Amino acid sequence: MTPAVGDQIPEWIMEHVSAQRMRTMAALLRDPNPLHWDRDAVAALPFELGQRTINQGPLGLSYMVNMLHAWAGPSCIRRIVMRFPQVVLDAEYVVARGEVMALREGPEEQLAECRIWLEHSERGVLLEGTAVVAVPSLA
Amino acid sequence: MTDYSVPDESVITGLTGHRFPGGSYTVEHWENALLTECTGAELLPNGMVHPVALFHMPIFGAGTSIAEMFALGQAESDLSIMIESYDWEIFMPLKEEICYSISGEISSAERRNSAQLNVHDRIQFRFEIYNPEKIIAARSTITWLYTRNTL
Repeated sequence: MTPAVGDQIPEWIMEHVSAQRMRTMAALLRDPNPLHWDRDAVAALPFELGQRTINQGPLGLSYMVNMLHAWAGPSCIRRIVMRFPQVVLDAEYVVARGEVMALREGPEEQLAECRIWLEHSERGVLLEGTAVVAVPSLA
Repeated sequence: MTDYSVPDESVITGLTGHRFPGGSYTVEHWENALLTECTGAELLPNGMVHPVALFHMPIFGAGTSIAEMFALGQAESDLSIMIESYDWEIFMPLKEEICYSISGEISSAERRNSAQLNVHDRIQFRFEIYNPEKIIAARSTITWLYTRNTL
């Protein structure tokens, strides 16, 4: 792989965001927030989200991590910054995408600065952020 | 909607510099396996920990919890917290079964007012993870918004 500015990072698909995985994650994180495991609590919110649990932020972020690992290797990520404009809900089909915005030489490696996001076909961008990724040098 | 009293601004801004006790954390194989499965990925090679651990590992290792972080900002409820951002800096891959030392603090706390959220508090937590040689391995910065009277 020799990346170039403007390259699209191969997408990574989560075909079915799993409520059961959210429950496992809630237990591992000792996260008391019922939004991740109680559909009634989500339905009671004034946001018309329905009877669906809300994915933990780190889990949505992890889909972008998986995309970057698949693209540039399992130790490629140097920094990832993520914002969360919309929630991710259980049973959703979401796609992690990214684009190379710049390339620069780091102290020991070439770095790609990437724009990354998580997309839903109807609701648009759910998560968005940036990543710095070590990539093979052109030299 | 329950009407909550909003904490004094000075109480919120006074959180800046609050340090957690600090401590250590070891991601065991079983935990990494479950975490990684939750992300939909296969286990990483050579005992590497999936970076998704950068959320809870520093929180626990620094001697705090999600519940305490909610309480420090006087969250009205677990439902009232919104994520502004997560910033993970990775200086070396984290490995299973390695004991990392972790420090943490509230790096900023301020009151804000916006058209979308009205009065709310923005609290930023910063955690640093050191390997057994005392070299920084990763840094995690969590920024949460504590909404007031929105639910």
